[in-house]
Amino acid sequence: MSAAGELLAPSAIDGTGFTVRRAARSSGWLLGFAAALVVLLAFMPALVSHGDTSLLVNVFVLLTISTMWNLLAGYAGLVSIGQQAFIGLGAYSVVVAAINGMEPFTVIPVAAVVCGVISIPVAALVFRTRGGYFAIATWVVASAAQLVISSITSIGGGTGHPVPGLSSLAPGEFANISYWSALAVVVVALAATYLLLRSRLGLVLAAVRDNEDAARAAGTRVTLARGVVFVLAAIGCGAAGALLAVTQLQVEPVAAFSVQWSAEIIFVTLIGGMGTIEGPILGTVIYFVLQQNLAQHGAWYLIIVGTVAVAVAIWFPRGLWGTVTRRLRFEFFPVRYQVVGPRPQDSGSPT
Amino acid sequence: MPATLLELVRISKRFGGVVVAHDLSLSVEPGAAVGLVGPNGAGKTSLFSMVAGDLRPDAGTISFDGAVVNRLGPAARCRLGIGRTYQVPKPFERMTVFENALVAAQQGAGARGQDSHHRAFASLERCNLIDKVNREAGSLGLLDRKRLELARALASGPRLVLLDEVAGGLTQPEVRELVDIVRSLRAEGTAVVWIEHVVRALVGAVDRLLCLAAGVVIADGDPVRVLDDPAVREVYLGTELAIEGTV
Ligand SMILES: Nc1ncnc2c1ncn2[C@@H]1O[C@H](COP(=O)(O)OP(=O)(O)O)[C@@H](O)[C@H]1O
Ligand SMILES: [Mg+2]
Repeated sequence: MSAAGELLAPSAIDGTGFTVRRAARSSGWLLGFAAALVVLLAFMPALVSHGDTSLLVNVFVLLTISTMWNLLAGYAGLVSIGQQAFIGLGAYSVVVAAINGMEPFTVIPVAAVVCGVISIPVAALVFRTRGGYFAIATWVVASAAQLVISSITSIGGGTGHPVPGLSSLAPGEFANISYWSALAVVVVALAATYLLLRSRLGLVLAAVRDNEDAARAAGTRVTLARGVVFVLAAIGCGAAGALLAVTQLQVEPVAAFSVQWSAEIIFVTLIGGMGTIEGPILGTVIYFVLQQNLAQHGAWYLIIVGTVAVAVAIWFPRGLWGTVTRRLRFEFFPVRYQVVGPRPQDSGSPT
Repeated sequence: MPATLLELVRISKRFGGVVVAHDLSLSVEPGAAVGLVGPNGAGKTSLFSMVAGDLRPDAGTISFDGAVVNRLGPAARCRLGIGRTYQVPKPFERMTVFENALVAAQQGAGARGQDSHHRAFASLERCNLIDKVNREAGSLGLLDRKRLELARALASGPRLVLLDEVAGGLTQPEVRELVDIVRSLRAEGTAVVWIEHVVRALVGAVDRLLCLAAGVVIADGDPVRVLDDPAVREVYLGTELAIEGTV
């Protein structure tokens, strides 16, 4: 049986005639489609220009950090506006490693882990706050990280530092490796998110998303679940930051730690739909379509992006994908449970 | 098994000038079915919140199954066997009815895999929610929300269930259905403490009734006798309990 088939295998509830399976009307072929899409994307460097692949690198970076933010805000109730802390620290981890003679591309996973480790004491600090104060606390942490990094002259201080060790690569080779690295990071981020949300912890996170008090009353260790998500999000954002460092060859504190990242992440996740895996994917696509078609119109671009955000917030409070999945009971990545009975169910397949 | 399952010793709690518990002591035996009445604002819900860990008392100790639980949070207390329902139901709105119960089965009762499915299913079956297992909880009406509140508490495998006005706002046949569920709990040895304004529902289902007023237990004992107690009649003067109590 295929891996996808096993993930989707129903399990019987003994003695009742009911079985439990995951997701409503979606099925294995959608996961197969996702796999085929990944294979197609892997061949993109042979099909399109380096300009297009470098655009896709930016798409993958934004999708990675938005997927992480969706776990934080959409599930764990942690509305962070400071994920740029880990983007910046991931980028600077690459700088430090490369200065010390390590191969920049191979450092990406190391940088991610470094950010995960740093996020543990950060969590201990920011978890003392709630709601709006939490958001501000994360932003303060990001600003503090920027200040600290900017004051270290050996990595360029406030002006930034180039990433050494990449000049030996031919330009085409460099573009391809950049692209494949970004693709690997986003695929791992999405796959990990999918598996996480299908796990016991995923069910806990959905409960925390919906009602924190009730989740606690039902026995869930909310703080532990939040801690795990916070560390995972730091790892994902660290990987994205490391990718930015290697693909842009240069890291500047103002750009790497910019709060602009949070603005983009929030836009993408809100219009796509918080609390669904698909939401940030759809949101990222919409964001880049708008950007590619409108960026040359300057102010109009910002007005349209703002209008889209407001319109979605008013008419689709669950985001575009959130609305689709609710109306059609359809999931691309099946994480939900469906009980299938011996009798026709009121919301199962039609009789 | 210790003789008392839940023991409150000299609990006090106030919100500013409002006293919700004043030097309150109380114990509940394993398997007991206890009703809790009292006028609005008497501190009934606050008492549940202190037992379930949602609210910290200013003074006093709370023990469950022989161990002091004051320092434990609500999740830890649920895992020990204290299940609660909220007066205003708090379903996981975007999750299905089955998933709602499954959270409690996995986290509260510590069940895994098929065992957790079975446990969730059994609690939903008991609360007559089987035909709505795949419904999103946010789309449920009041009766089903109340049923789900109860099913989720039961799926966590409680030894003590705290029911906060589960019958409020329901019709008589609906109330009867819930009373039957509570009776069946008691029959299998699960202790129940039940807050209810619909006293008629309580009297048939509990063997002990407490009346709380301004954070003080003013009567405790046989339900019929408590309802006839002059002190109880006094605090309820002119309210629905006085009317129902004399029926
Ligand atoms: N979190 C709180 N903060 C301030 N006052 C509260 C809080 N919770 C309850 N109260 C007050 O305490 C009193 C008792 O409330 P409650 O325990 O809900 O009473 P009951 O359930 O008996 O109607 C009420 O006057 C209520 O307004
Ligand atoms: Mg109350």
